[in-house]
Amino acid sequence: MKSVSDKPTAEVKAVASRRPKMVSWLRKRAADLAPFATLAVLVIFFGLASDSFLDIYNLRNILSQIATLSIVATGMTFVLLCGQIDLSVAAVATMTGVIAANLFSEAKLPEIVAVLAGIVVAGIFGSVSGWGTTKVGLPSFMMTLVAMQVANGAALFISKGKINYNVPPLLKSLGSEYLGPIPLVVVMGAIALIIGHVVLTYTRFGRYVYMTGSNRVGAELSGINTRLVIGACLVISAVCAGIAGMLNTGRLGSAQSYGLDSFLLDSITAVVLGGTSLFGGQGGVKNTVIGLLVFGVLSNGLNQIQLDIYIRLLIAGLILLAALLINNYALKLRSVETEIES
Amino acid sequence: MSATGQLDKTAQKVILELRNLSKRFGGVNALIDVDFDLREGEVHGLVGENGAGKSTLMKILSGVYSDYDGQMLLNGSLVRFHSPADARSKGIGMIHQELSIFPHLTVAENIFSGTQPLTKANTIDWKTMRQQAAEYLKELGLAIDVNSLMGDLSVGAQQMVEITRILFSGANIIIMDEPTSALSLPETKRLFSFIEKLKAQNKTVIFISHFLEDVLQISDRVTVFKNSRRVAVRENKGLTKHEVIELMLGSDSRMLLQAYEEDTIASRNTPNQAGAVTLTVHNLTYNGVFQDISFTVRDGEILGLYSFVGAGQLKLAQCLFGVEHPSKGTIEFKGKITKLRNTRHAKKLGIAYVPENRRDSLALDKEIFKNVTLVQLDRLLPIFLRRRLEIEVTTEKIQATRVRPALPNLPVGALSGGNQQKVVLAKWLVKTPELLILAEPTRGMDVGAKEEVLELIHELRSRGVAILLISTELETILANCDRVIVMHKGHLTAEFEGAQMSKDNLLLHA
Repeated sequence: MKSVSDKPTAEVKAVASRRPKMVSWLRKRAADLAPFATLAVLVIFFGLASDSFLDIYNLRNILSQIATLSIVATGMTFVLLCGQIDLSVAAVATMTGVIAANLFSEAKLPEIVAVLAGIVVAGIFGSVSGWGTTKVGLPSFMMTLVAMQVANGAALFISKGKINYNVPPLLKSLGSEYLGPIPLVVVMGAIALIIGHVVLTYTRFGRYVYMTGSNRVGAELSGINTRLVIGACLVISAVCAGIAGMLNTGRLGSAQSYGLDSFLLDSITAVVLGGTSLFGGQGGVKNTVIGLLVFGVLSNGLNQIQLDIYIRLLIAGLILLAALLINNYALKLRSVETEIES
Repeated sequence: MSATGQLDKTAQKVILELRNLSKRFGGVNALIDVDFDLREGEVHGLVGENGAGKSTLMKILSGVYSDYDGQMLLNGSLVRFHSPADARSKGIGMIHQELSIFPHLTVAENIFSGTQPLTKANTIDWKTMRQQAAEYLKELGLAIDVNSLMGDLSVGAQQMVEITRILFSGANIIIMDEPTSALSLPETKRLFSFIEKLKAQNKTVIFISHFLEDVLQISDRVTVFKNSRRVAVRENKGLTKHEVIELMLGSDSRMLLQAYEEDTIASRNTPNQAGAVTLTVHNLTYNGVFQDISFTVRDGEILGLYSFVGAGQLKLAQCLFGVEHPSKGTIEFKGKITKLRNTRHAKKLGIAYVPENRRDSLALDKEIFKNVTLVQLDRLLPIFLRRRLEIEVTTEKIQATRVRPALPNLPVGALSGGNQQKVVLAKWLVKTPELLILAEPTRGMDVGAKEEVLELIHELRSRGVAILLISTELETILANCDRVIVMHKGHLTAEFEGAQMSKDNLLLHA
């Protein structure tokens, strides 16, 4: 039996060596490299086009700008990887910020309790979305769309539309202080990404997420509780959104029922730009990091160069479109390469 | 043209004729020198085992395959269809076993799908469409409301609407593939009286079926295929089921002899060392699919479940693995009556399930080792993944199941179908199961891979695993099972053991 395994190994190697190794490697890695290439092109372009872009303070600025978004994007990565979507992240972030601030300023609860309560409420939202998606069987698109509405409504109801400047000091310091030269929000964002990466890459749960996203029926027929996996991902996403929302109130020094809407589209854009598939099973936090950087560099860079402010949004949209098309093309190259090899 | 094409009646006019038709797929002959003639206004039964050539012939007639050797004459002139649309335009319509209907549209819309009548403003003329559809149905004597949704009708009624659609889009030859497999007895009767009506209108029907009683009941003539050849054409008058089975199998069938007379096969089927009862199924019912199924499987035995496609056998398998939940009846596993809550529950008890479609249980874009360890990952490691351990376990299992190449880091999608199936088996061998349910484990595999998979199954049998082998392939069942149960349209019809296990007996009861 042992001898059987040796020969085919050689055969496979022989097939692979018929093509130039470098080209083959590049084509296979194209999907991973494409977002890198996009990032590099953008950095070089903005570096040449603007004097201030490559300034160390500006680079730090970019990181601060994407810091809270990266926490949302970490959660979104889990959700997209198991083949679902979470449309409620922005609303949950807003609502959680309002609730934490309100519990602290109006209910006079200790700040740590207010913050933990915010996390719990966000988790409950995620669980309800998860329940609707897995037990009831509604599409996560619909379930989280409704959750978005409810969370927006709750934020408006609790805040009564007013701006609350009495934010827990803990959040204020996390949102505005520095660890050495690095803003604490950036540290928080990095921690979220690192934890997300470790969970997805090195734990059993992470494997289940990928396998569920790749073939849900298959995972179910292998005795995996795919409902639990999907539900957990939606909870993770909601909790990440809640934490990001609270940090954001600390960064701004105020909590309000509007202003975070961009979290939703930005987080999905960043995750997908990095090469994570909307259909599940492919991608990861590594990809999300690149996607976030592309996103951050693009929005910051367009502000640095002399450009009519009315055309910026349009340009940004077109560049994102191009980046997505390149990603998609790269993905096809890889699948072709895998077929040739087999 | 055969001697029967004499000068008796105009109704005996031959409208379709095949001469020396052959079709090869690579090195495999699917049809060899087939002659076939179809008389106008007849119902022509087509029978043969799986792989005898029926479906290839059907696909040539309906325009799916256009590269074949030999000639096809339609109304005396040479034709070659290049696409299904081409065949349809020449008057040949096909009713597939899986109906191609639009369940969310009305009966009228289904009848006119693609050819809706238009108003002057180029919008759909609903009124004319409904009226005409109603007329068509009435003309064929069908009392079906044109406004009801297609999906709300019974399968039998859907079939008749489908036939109506094909007839009024100009077909005069209708090929029906297994039309009765999903029908109840009264529905079958209704279909047959409908077919009689079509005959009266001088339409011609090719009736392909595994259900020999049905074929013998409705056909005027019967053509029998065996091993890619047409072996007989008979007038139905006086023909018996036994004769047809004999024609299908051939009295000199080597397969038949091999299956249960020669020592080679018998040696693999070492005497039944079956031990304790592992699984007892009692009166299991899934409403609308199968009823009152009872049987047992013991340690160290292979119980075969033979049936035609669509007898409810796959739903039964799903019920035994907790994917579906039976409406009635009990499942007793190792002496305890068990309600299988879900697939996890079944897995924990030691039940393994290889589904009929391997794509249903593999993540093709993921590495072999990720697929293999998935089932028992929670037993292998608590929280953090250990790649080396996974690779070790996987390497051992895929070598044991003879996956080639045995490279744990290769994506499963890069393997051939047979090797993918071995990966599915390897998955379930990480921890040896108590009960292994196999649905069509060797379907679509080449001979070598098939043999390896079957050998593996026998190895498990000798290690005391209880095995339920579900298959629609006679040879697979006969050559590998200790006992066989037979299912027919949702009912258990027979059980055979030892010398009683023969092709004739199985075919007779399926």
